[in-house]
Amino acid sequence: MNTNAKKWIRFRIYMVLICFLLFFTALAVRAFQLQVLKGEYLRTLAEKEYTGIIRLAQDRGVIYDRHKEILAISSYAYSIFADPTQITDPYSVACKLSAILKLNNRKLLNNLKKKRSFVWVKRQVTDGEAEEVRRLRIKGIHFLRENRRYYPDVYLACHLLGFAGVDAQGLEGLELSYDKYLKTKTGYSTAMRDALGRRIYSKIDFGGSRQGYDLILTIDKRIQHITEMGLKKVSQNTQAKGAMAIVMNPKTGEILAMANYPPFNPNTFLRYPPSVRRNRIITDTFEPGSTFKVFLIAGALEEGTVKPNHMFFCENGNYRIKGTSAIIKDVHQHGWLSASDIIKFSSNIGAVKIGQTLNSSCLFRYIKAFGFGEKTGIDLPGEVRGFINPPIKWSKVDKHYIAFGYGIATTAIQLLSAFSAIANDGVLMRPFVVKEIINKDGKTIKRFAPHVVRRVVSSKTAREVTSILEKVVEKDGTGRMAFLEGYRVAGKTGTARKAKSGGKGYSKDKYVASFMGFAPVEDPQIAVLVVVDEPKGVEYGGVVAAPVFKEITQKTMVCLNIPPQRVLMAQGKPGVLRQWISIIDGNGNKDDS
Amino acid sequence: MKRKGTYDYTLFFTILSLLGIGLVMVYSSSSVMALKRFDDSYLFIKKQALFSLIGIAFMVIYSLTPYQYLRKLSLPVLILGLMSLLMVWMPSIGTEIRGSSRWIKIFNLSFQPSEFAKLALILFLAHSLAKNHQNIKTFTMGFFPHFIITLFFILLILKEPDLGTSLNILVISLTMMFVAGVRVRYLLGVFSLAIPLTVFLIMGEQYRIRRILTFLNPWEDPLGRGFHIIHSFLAMGSGGWCGVGLGDGRQKLFYLPEPHTDFILSVIGEEFGLVGVIIIISLFLILIVKGIGIALRAPDLFGSYLALGITLLIGLQAFIHAGVVMGLMPTKGLTLPFISYGGSSLISGLVSMGILLNISYQRRT
Repeated sequence: MNTNAKKWIRFRIYMVLICFLLFFTALAVRAFQLQVLKGEYLRTLAEKEYTGIIRLAQDRGVIYDRHKEILAISSYAYSIFADPTQITDPYSVACKLSAILKLNNRKLLNNLKKKRSFVWVKRQVTDGEAEEVRRLRIKGIHFLRENRRYYPDVYLACHLLGFAGVDAQGLEGLELSYDKYLKTKTGYSTAMRDALGRRIYSKIDFGGSRQGYDLILTIDKRIQHITEMGLKKVSQNTQAKGAMAIVMNPKTGEILAMANYPPFNPNTFLRYPPSVRRNRIITDTFEPGSTFKVFLIAGALEEGTVKPNHMFFCENGNYRIKGTSAIIKDVHQHGWLSASDIIKFSSNIGAVKIGQTLNSSCLFRYIKAFGFGEKTGIDLPGEVRGFINPPIKWSKVDKHYIAFGYGIATTAIQLLSAFSAIANDGVLMRPFVVKEIINKDGKTIKRFAPHVVRRVVSSKTAREVTSILEKVVEKDGTGRMAFLEGYRVAGKTGTARKAKSGGKGYSKDKYVASFMGFAPVEDPQIAVLVVVDEPKGVEYGGVVAAPVFKEITQKTMVCLNIPPQRVLMAQGKPGVLRQWISIIDGNGNKDDS
Repeated sequence: MKRKGTYDYTLFFTILSLLGIGLVMVYSSSSVMALKRFDDSYLFIKKQALFSLIGIAFMVIYSLTPYQYLRKLSLPVLILGLMSLLMVWMPSIGTEIRGSSRWIKIFNLSFQPSEFAKLALILFLAHSLAKNHQNIKTFTMGFFPHFIITLFFILLILKEPDLGTSLNILVISLTMMFVAGVRVRYLLGVFSLAIPLTVFLIMGEQYRIRRILTFLNPWEDPLGRGFHIIHSFLAMGSGGWCGVGLGDGRQKLFYLPEPHTDFILSVIGEEFGLVGVIIIISLFLILIVKGIGIALRAPDLFGSYLALGITLLIGLQAFIHAGVVMGLMPTKGLTLPFISYGGSSLISGLVSMGILLNISYQRRT
């Protein structure tokens, strides 16, 4: 009997074990159901809860120009919400609020009568409205500070700055490329808010949370404005499709101004198509045309295959390339020209002849050395490489076309960077837009120093090219309209036919007119590129773009406090100096001496 | 017939693993809350580490003490257990926390007498059931005394009030009686009385009704009553297969109530995913299978019942904790043995493991 009883005890213990096994299997199945089968759904729910909170918590850093003038700032707008469970008399509350906030009384009343603990009354009200409602001290009416990105100068530097979305995330331009610095990192502290976004606990900081940093740009707000006005004027006068311009310090690569026309308003960016919001200076390429001859002559001089005074026969304006049917024409017919004059008069045939002194791989090496076909590395999003085929893929005519700037696609920023190397003694600098990142206390987080990419040509070559380019703006040069009294200017015009879209060949009436130059020659402070896309009527870079260059350069010289040299030397003519001072003062009074 | 076995290392290391996981998870889940409430993020982990050391010492001592000695102490211990439950109501040492009188405080040390009372009751039941083995089928000797003692404990704990622990004790006690051979009809009789009584108790307390309703449909009021269980679901769901990583769980940051005690498995579920939850479940299952095995091979009936009672104590509590955080049972505060924060339950748990290890040590082959 004893052993029998013990058998039963053992049996019942096994029953307990089986129960446990069943229970725990149920647990595992439930865990699988919650974590894997319903996991995705629950995760989304949880994320929703957090992101709702994060959105209310965002605050972005300020973007300043180089003189700490504000370009983009985060401001707040109050939103009003109600907790209907706390409202005792919805009728009178609805009456009062609808009067102040100009809302539909009945709609508001319906909302206030809802059996919920949260309804919006009105979002992003003005400060005045918020103050008035606040003064009523109605129980159950609450305020929420919401973030809003604001660009006080509206169009100014819009393409450069880009814009931030409603959830304070950078979407374009600097707002995008420096998003991780600008945005406030909320880290763990975001989770320490309750379902209404109120801070439950703010003391803990796991190091992940911080205020957004501020950016100090290399941009000068005044020069940016000057540049944009210049572009606006030329675009409207020539009914151009668009225009762009860059002002850069050739010695450091600092961008002082960068503008596209037409502009857009980043405060209301959604109203503009993406094509208008794009910073075409870095995202779009074009065939540079004659401006490219600068790099050809630089390469030839550096290699020693050409001297500035070497004479070339320019075929009286009509030249068939040997062994092909390609005919190259000049605008004006020239006979014998020196290498220097080929640039001055921008002879395509002359350029082809200079190109013939270099072999293909050598020419290609210089093109690459100037930075074409590679990103410049500017700190803006969306930069493209441009396009240049390696010599192996060149057909018989390609090399000749490249010599005067066809068959190669460059961005505006590439073109000006390469050109700045001439102004900078032959050394290529990387262009950049952000000078410094600082925190809210003004402490430097990161400083960006000028970055040397490489030496492209010797300083002797750079000087030789400069003196050739200085002749371009002389009275009989193609760039004469860029001549600026009181300053030594070096530059080059460009007038390129646009390639027909989709097919081969070039358009007969669509041009890209450009001018690039730097000043003052003896100590270059700025390099400027102006590109006008499809001007109507006159298409020449020397006529369309050069005057814009002149205007931008002249006014920028004033901004940078660089007096006209020749005037200062000419002691006997104080009147001109006074005229210059009057420009600074902003009144255009003629002097009376 | 008796032979000294070897020390049960599998069981020993399973317990240590649970303790280790517990220490890590208590820190992960409590640091933010501890910093906020007490300005010291290490507060709970420091205390828990200390309790673990004390507990391990107790476990080793008990594992080396022949459990037969405990049998002689079973009656005094039982009386001590009842007294400690009464002490909760003594104004000088009883402390009330959030409407419950579950703690007593002596020399600045507060502990939860019900944790020790449970063990005392199991010890007494094992002793008494073994002693009355021959007359187990009778009402007067087999059923009545065991039931009355259990009822005493239940009523005292109900008074705290702690319905969950009361039901837990009832289930342990009835299961031990069932295994010992008490007539099933008596046990069913208890059930038929307990069910209406439980319903009555639930109906008598607003918060208990709400808990049941919330359990049935937590989504009805997600920001109110369903808040806790829904956030437990969100934690588990966010974990997925492998979890968000240690320390990166977000539901513990004030969304989950008591993340370091009653909802610690949710935190594990979020930070280590299904893998983590399965590991915890498996460790407890190893513990249960081991415990049952020890009950089957114990040298005498007392040892067998004692091992069974201890296994039930730990196993049921683990099951209920997991069931609650996964929404299989109504919300109620039960800790996860060895893992949740809490000195009393940790030390009493480790004492019971010491006893289990000793029974295992003396097992028959």
